[in-house]
Amino acid sequence: MSLAAATIPAPSIEYSQLAPMLIVFGAAVVGVLVEAFAPRHLRRPAHLVLSLGGLATAFVLTCVIAGSASIFANGSPGHNAAMGAVAVDRPTLFIQGTILVLAFVSVLLIADSAQDVSPFAGQAAAAPGSPEEREGLLAGLVHTEIYPLTLFAVGGMLLFPASNDLLTMFVALEVLSLPLYLLCGLARRRRLLSHEAAVKYFLLGAFSSAFFLFGIAMLYGYSGSVSLAAIASTVSSNTGSTTLLFAGIALTGLGLLFKIGAVPFQSWKPDVYQGAPTPVTALMASCTVVSAFGALLRVFYVAFGNLTWDWRPAMWAVAILTMVIGAIIAITQTDVKRLLAYSSIAHAGFILTAVIAASAAGLSSSLFYLAAYGFTTVGAFAVITLVRDPGGEADHLSRWAGLGKRSPLVAGIFAFFLLAFAGIPLTSGFTGKFAVFQAAVAGGATPLVIVGVLASAIAAFFYVRVIVLMFFSDPVPDGPEVVVPSLFTGTAVGLGAVATLVLGIVPGPVLDLANHAATQLFVR
Amino acid sequence: MSPAYYVFLAVILFVIGGVGVLVRRNAIVIFMCVELMLNACNLAFVAFARMHGNLDGQVVAFFVMVVAAAEVVVGLAILMAIYRARKSASVDDANLLKY
Amino acid sequence: MRLYVPILVLAVLAAGFAIFSVTFGALAGPKRWNKAKLESYECGIEPTPAPLGGGKVPIKYYLTAMLFIVFDIEIVFLYPWAVTFNKLGAFALVEMVAFVVAVLIAYAYVWRRGGLDWD
Repeated sequence: MSLAAATIPAPSIEYSQLAPMLIVFGAAVVGVLVEAFAPRHLRRPAHLVLSLGGLATAFVLTCVIAGSASIFANGSPGHNAAMGAVAVDRPTLFIQGTILVLAFVSVLLIADSAQDVSPFAGQAAAAPGSPEEREGLLAGLVHTEIYPLTLFAVGGMLLFPASNDLLTMFVALEVLSLPLYLLCGLARRRRLLSHEAAVKYFLLGAFSSAFFLFGIAMLYGYSGSVSLAAIASTVSSNTGSTTLLFAGIALTGLGLLFKIGAVPFQSWKPDVYQGAPTPVTALMASCTVVSAFGALLRVFYVAFGNLTWDWRPAMWAVAILTMVIGAIIAITQTDVKRLLAYSSIAHAGFILTAVIAASAAGLSSSLFYLAAYGFTTVGAFAVITLVRDPGGEADHLSRWAGLGKRSPLVAGIFAFFLLAFAGIPLTSGFTGKFAVFQAAVAGGATPLVIVGVLASAIAAFFYVRVIVLMFFSDPVPDGPEVVVPSLFTGTAVGLGAVATLVLGIVPGPVLDLANHAATQLFVR
Repeated sequence: MSPAYYVFLAVILFVIGGVGVLVRRNAIVIFMCVELMLNACNLAFVAFARMHGNLDGQVVAFFVMVVAAAEVVVGLAILMAIYRARKSASVDDANLLKY
Repeated sequence: MRLYVPILVLAVLAAGFAIFSVTFGALAGPKRWNKAKLESYECGIEPTPAPLGGGKVPIKYYLTAMLFIVFDIEIVFLYPWAVTFNKLGAFALVEMVAFVVAVLIAYAYVWRRGGLDWD
């Protein structure tokens, strides 16, 4: 009758080491409670305090953990918290810190409600053009759910690069994706475009995560465990079926490359970036990319680190396609958000050249590039929210003609961001590109770097074309209005511009930080 | 019966789901095909768990079920919104974003 | 035989509960008959002769169905915990309470936002 009384050792969870993620998730859950119980007029201020406060606290705690003497005692590369499910190591902390700062800036954009009521739909459930929608607009309804959704997405982004087993990684992938699918469909203006972006992102995202999951199943079949370290040790002991292993690498790689938008898995990116509300695009273009690259780096460095020669050729092809196709298709774009989407695809290719190096230099230069690129992107999308037509943002490039003559400051800042994307010296883009190409050459990928430099030249052409359009063509009659930025958007633009400038002129401290973070690679 | 057969069945189901996503035009049907792919993954996990004699695969299957349910809710909400706006759930009609 | 005693006890308890509920309901409840109560249970759809509106169901039904899926699936985590509850002890209890509270918060949101109102 009696069950065996043997006790299973209770799992241990290092709450203090996981504090940044727990705080972000906790703030999101409290946000749901605010939605449920707070009176309508108190919701937005409460969410602002929760979101910004939560992200700031999480960032401070990340810094504290990074400086902790006990985790990194005796030259330890880090610690596997929560029974080996979550890694706490320096590259991860660097990535998480970057995500938290970028998310903070994105939340500033999301919270901006100076232009009209807010960039988000008042009632997502009301069909566009319906009487319900009009009633809701007149009643001044707003969706304050965007704040908890954003926090859930950011929490998933923090967990994604930190997950040390593939199950945690899959759950984190979904936690970051599901709120983003919803956020994409919540634009106040041009709602059909926004819906369409959400449907496309959702269907393709779910499709790719099914591939990712099947890859995990293959790797589990190969090694009998979903932990990255166990997969790595099965690889080095050379037991198990190589068919399962290679199928697993290909399918998990596909899922991760989809999230960073590498060719041939890029087709969602321009559509989603264009259709989503611009603050959400800023969040996706900066934080999601950083997080997905973090996960890609961890999987390919920790689990497949001994198989570099097997996955490198495929990654070479992906990197070359991503750089070239991203740069070439960008030339034909006429919508500024689509243009930045293709530019983001090309940039993913540049970072991939460093990922392929599979070295400490490759890791540190990727980390630096991600931080630099994230700030520039957030700033650029913040500027886009400022150039407005009566019907919403003026996204079409023809509307931007002569903007430099009408409001030189905004056009100047945007031109500065574009120069940073192009990688002109004295901007962070130059330092980042230099670092990744240097790491790639040191890793023996000189042909890849040559392709990268050519793609940068093509990319520079269309960035310069936009600058010429803004400064050297005549303003369009009844052109878009450039609104005076509110405190929130102004801060976002300012932070982006300052970070782009500082990382371009004195990149030393952040480069040192990235090098320091990358010396011991990931914890196993 | 060898658990390997279940893995083959999982692969077949996964491919059927994948082809369904590519050839079908109704967003709801596409979504059902994605769910079929997730369930194929579950079958593979459980079969591999049997082959390796540990429980990790079964635990993963639990989590996948929960994630799939959450995905259904988010997905149906999005699809419902676009259906109400356009009176069509065909993915060919959603063609405003291009080039 | 001793192994089957708990099953017998459970069967007696279950039968007792069923008999008690039906009898008590019949004795204590008000008796107001209407058409809906006499129909076979079909989740709000009229089964015969032809379904209302060509077999389409109101969209509210799907909202309820989606809520059901979400809250129903969470139970999957309770089963393994319940099986090993004695062995895992206080730590798992605390974690599971945290999990249930998180689910309850979602429930509170649905309730306060009118997700449970039929009309």
